This record gives sequence, C-alpha cells and structure tokens, in this order.
Amino acid sequence: MNPLSIQHVSKTYKTPKKEDLLAVDDVSLVIAPGSIHGLLGPNGAGKSTLISLIAGINTPTHGSITLFGLDVIKNPEAAKGLIGVVPQEVVVEMAFTVQEVLYYFSGMYGVPQAQRQARIDQALDDLQLTEKKHEKAKNLSGGMKRRLMIAKAILHQPKLLILDEPTAGVDVALRQKIWELVRRLNASGTTILFTTHYLEEAEQLCDAITLVNHGKVIKEGKLKDIQQEFSKNIIHFELFNKSVSHPSDVVATGSEFEFPMTNLAQDMNMITTHYGDNLKNIRSEAASLEQIFLTLTK
Amino acid sequence: MSISLPQTGMWALYAREVKRFQKLWMDTIFNPIVSIGLYLAVFGVVAGDRVIHGVPYLAFIYIGLLSMNLINASISNPAFALIISKNLGTIIDLQLAPISPWRVGLAYALAALTRGVITLFVGVLLTAWFIPLGGIAHPFLLLLAIALTGIQFGIVGVAFGMWAKNFEALTFLTTFVLQPMIFLAGVFYPIDSLPSPWNIISQFNPLHHNVNLLRFAVTDYADGNPWRSLIIVITLLVAATVAMHYIVKKKLRAE
Repeated sequence: MNPLSIQHVSKTYKTPKKEDLLAVDDVSLVIAPGSIHGLLGPNGAGKSTLISLIAGINTPTHGSITLFGLDVIKNPEAAKGLIGVVPQEVVVEMAFTVQEVLYYFSGMYGVPQAQRQARIDQALDDLQLTEKKHEKAKNLSGGMKRRLMIAKAILHQPKLLILDEPTAGVDVALRQKIWELVRRLNASGTTILFTTHYLEEAEQLCDAITLVNHGKVIKEGKLKDIQQEFSKNIIHFELFNKSVSHPSDVVATGSEFEFPMTNLAQDMNMITTHYGDNLKNIRSEAASLEQIFLTLTK
Repeated sequence: MSISLPQTGMWALYAREVKRFQKLWMDTIFNPIVSIGLYLAVFGVVAGDRVIHGVPYLAFIYIGLLSMNLINASISNPAFALIISKNLGTIIDLQLAPISPWRVGLAYALAALTRGVITLFVGVLLTAWFIPLGGIAHPFLLLLAIALTGIQFGIVGVAFGMWAKNFEALTFLTTFVLQPMIFLAGVFYPIDSLPSPWNIISQFNPLHHNVNLLRFAVTDYADGNPWRSLIIVITLLVAATVAMHYIVKKKLRAE
C-alpha cells in the first residue's frame, strides 16, 4: 500500500480582497513505500500548502488524499497517527523542559506510558539532545529547537515522516546530521517526504522528486531518470594516445573528446570497447538538479 | 460528533495542561485566593453579624466568592493557554495530533475543572476556619455543582480561546462581560433584594444559576428554585459543549 496517494487535489483560498487564490492546482502524486521523496519548488509554489493538506490541517477544495489507504478527510485521526510532521516554522513550548515536551507529545500520539521513556531517550540520543533534556525548550539554540521538532515527530515511530524545509537556516554540520538521521530512518523502513530549497540536498537524499510551481506539478519521477532526460546527451572522454582511429561522430575538443549520446549504456560500452586500455577517463554530462529546476521554472 | 472512550492522547493533553498551570501555581492557584481573602476581610468588617435569609452574610458571600473563583479559573485556564498557543504557533501541535476536536476540547476543559477544584480546595483550606458555616447541607449536590460549573466554564474557555485572536479579546471578555455577569449573579447579595426589573433580569444571567446551585448545596438557601437552576446549568453545559465542538473543529482544521 502506498504511504501517500494524492488524486487531483486542488486548494483555493479566499484572499483578503475576497478573490480566489488557487494555491494547489489539480495535483496528483504517489509516493512509493520506503522511498525518500523530495518536493521541490520556488517560494510560493504551493509546497507548504500541499504538506498542510496531507497533514490534515487544511481541507482540499477538490480531490482526495490517502495515507496508507486511509482517507485524510474521512479518517483524520487514524491517518494522522501514521505520520510524523516537522513543520517549517520552529515553535516550542515556553513552559516545559525538553524532556517534558517529548513526554507529553509522545502521549498525545498514543505512545503507551511504559514505552515513553525509552522512546524519548532514543530520540534524544538520535538528535543529540540528551544533555539538554532538563533545559527549558525555549532556552535552546535555533538549531537545537529544530532538532527538538524532529524528535517530536519521530517519537511515535511514524510510517511516513514529512519534513517541511528541515534544514532551512541550520549550519552545515547540523544539516549533515539531519541527512544522516533521514537516511537512518529510511533504512529502518520509514518513508520520507520532504520539501527543500537546497537542491544539493535533494540530489544527496532523494530517490524521487516532484517539482511544483504555481501550484502545479511540473515534473516528477526518479531523480536519475529526470537527470538523464535533461542531460546534454554527450559523453566526454580522454585518451592516453590521441593518435588513433575514432568512431564516426567523435569530436576532439582540446584535451577531451565528445560523442553525441543516444543510449547511455550502449554508447559507453561501444567507446570502452573501441579504445580499451587507451581510455584515460569517461563521463556523461548529467544535468544538475539546479539546471533542471531553472529550466522548468523559468 | 463521534463519541467513543477517551484515549491516551486526550489524557496526555489533559496532563500537559494540568502541568502547565501547576508550573505557574503562584499566579494560577494563590493569586485568586488572595482576592477572596481581601473580599472577606472588607465585607466581614462592613457587614458584621448581618444575616441574610438565615445565612450569616460572611458565609453567604463566601460561597459566592468561591463560585466566582471557580468560574474565573475554569474559563481563564484554557482561554489563556490556547491564546498563548496561537501566538507562539504551538497550536500546530494540536492541529497535527491524532486527537479528535471534541477530545482536544474535553482535555482542556477537564484541566480547567482540575484547576478550579484545586483553587477551591486550597481556598477553603486557608479561609474556612473563620467563616461561620454550619456544615454542608447537600454534599453530593455540592460535588455535582462544582463538577458541572467547572466543566461548563472550562468548555466556554476552550471555545473562547479557540475563537479569540489575541489577549485583548480575553481582557474584553473578563473585564466587560464576565466580571459584570459575576457581580450581577448574586455573589454579594440575594437577587430578590434587587429592585425590579433587575431581579427579573438577573434570573436570565446564566452565572446566577451556578452560584445559586452552589450556595444551596452548602447553605440550603437558594434565590428561587435550585432544581430549576440545576436544569438550566445542565442545559447550558450541553449547549456550550456543542458550540465548543463546532468552534474547535473549525479552528483546528482551516477550511
């Protein structure tokens, strides 16, 4: 069963001037079990609105959303219990310590009392917050508050973890730690959906991506397939001895040679067979996600 | 509204809200008790040994003041917590949690009742020794009246806290609506001592029936039929619950 299935979902808001604003426009999306799925798009593309619809905070104007087969509108509590959500905005309780925040939050998600402390200790350890557990949450640094929000979302061991810009405004070291945690959770069977502005992050983590702009899905699929689709279709290679016969269509460009690619695997095989040990290095020029993003959103 | 047994999530939310007011015990528990003490000191000196319908005046207003305290604590606890939550943005925790709107409301209302009862209990412990009470006339009715009043105004506080955008709205409610209604509910005097039409108008003040019921349960004296007050309190509780459920559902799930 797919962790998330969105079918023809639209969301229209009323602006303060009572005009209709179409924030999400006929979006359909399916996330495969066990995947890390990136939801990418420029500011105002509709990513956070889509997340709020999935999380049951907002109601779609049209369409349906199911989480593990449960309709988010018809079975909101059951559906919400299966997911963990890390909202974009960092907010913490003023009155409680880190330990207390996690204790009550795990209870709110139905974690039995007997299991709560073990889950809290694990989450604190995962997010490197153990030393801060008796501190008031409001006194934590920005990065620690962000980690606390992630800890809250994983306490009940959700089957789908949704992270809305989890690394926005965090330093490089913390970003790496969050990536590690995402990979670890994914390896243990948690499906991940996250939005990000950092395309490098999506390239590092995602199996599949969905690009949205102006509320519409403009591209979706496996990252490798999309990159290949947008690649420049050229194989670059270098030779130890350049004075050899070349297949037709090979063009010398300074120290390198280029070959127009039609099929990556077949063409790579042809070149490596033709030049054998004379081949110094070979690469295909895959389009970066940034190039794809800019091409599709300009 | 589907009604099923409250589950872990609701009780965890209740426990969190109880913990919240316990952390601010000086403000939430003792502050109102100081107010009661001051009222009793002033009215005790002014009224002397005056008796109203067979009830010593100090005992008469004592029950009124405790009722006022219970109502204030019950309404302000959830209203304050929810408005803060909206201001901080932590309301999203309630929006995301797998707890149905009526259970969210009930958790906050029960926490409000708990605060009201603790305040009442501590207040009685600290002040009852100098009040000329001759015992409790109807103990079971007293427990019922406390429970109904606490939960009723807890529910009103939840509905208001969810609806209000800021603390100005809460100040408006307490200063311009709640306090006048409390003072006109017969806290300090029997409403039959008011000139017409105010004695009739006071009968339509919903708070009057809570005060009346509590006073009857303790002193056996009531302004009018106490059983009618009980029915009115229960009716208003049901109405407040329906309104609270509608508002919580609407506010936790943006349309």
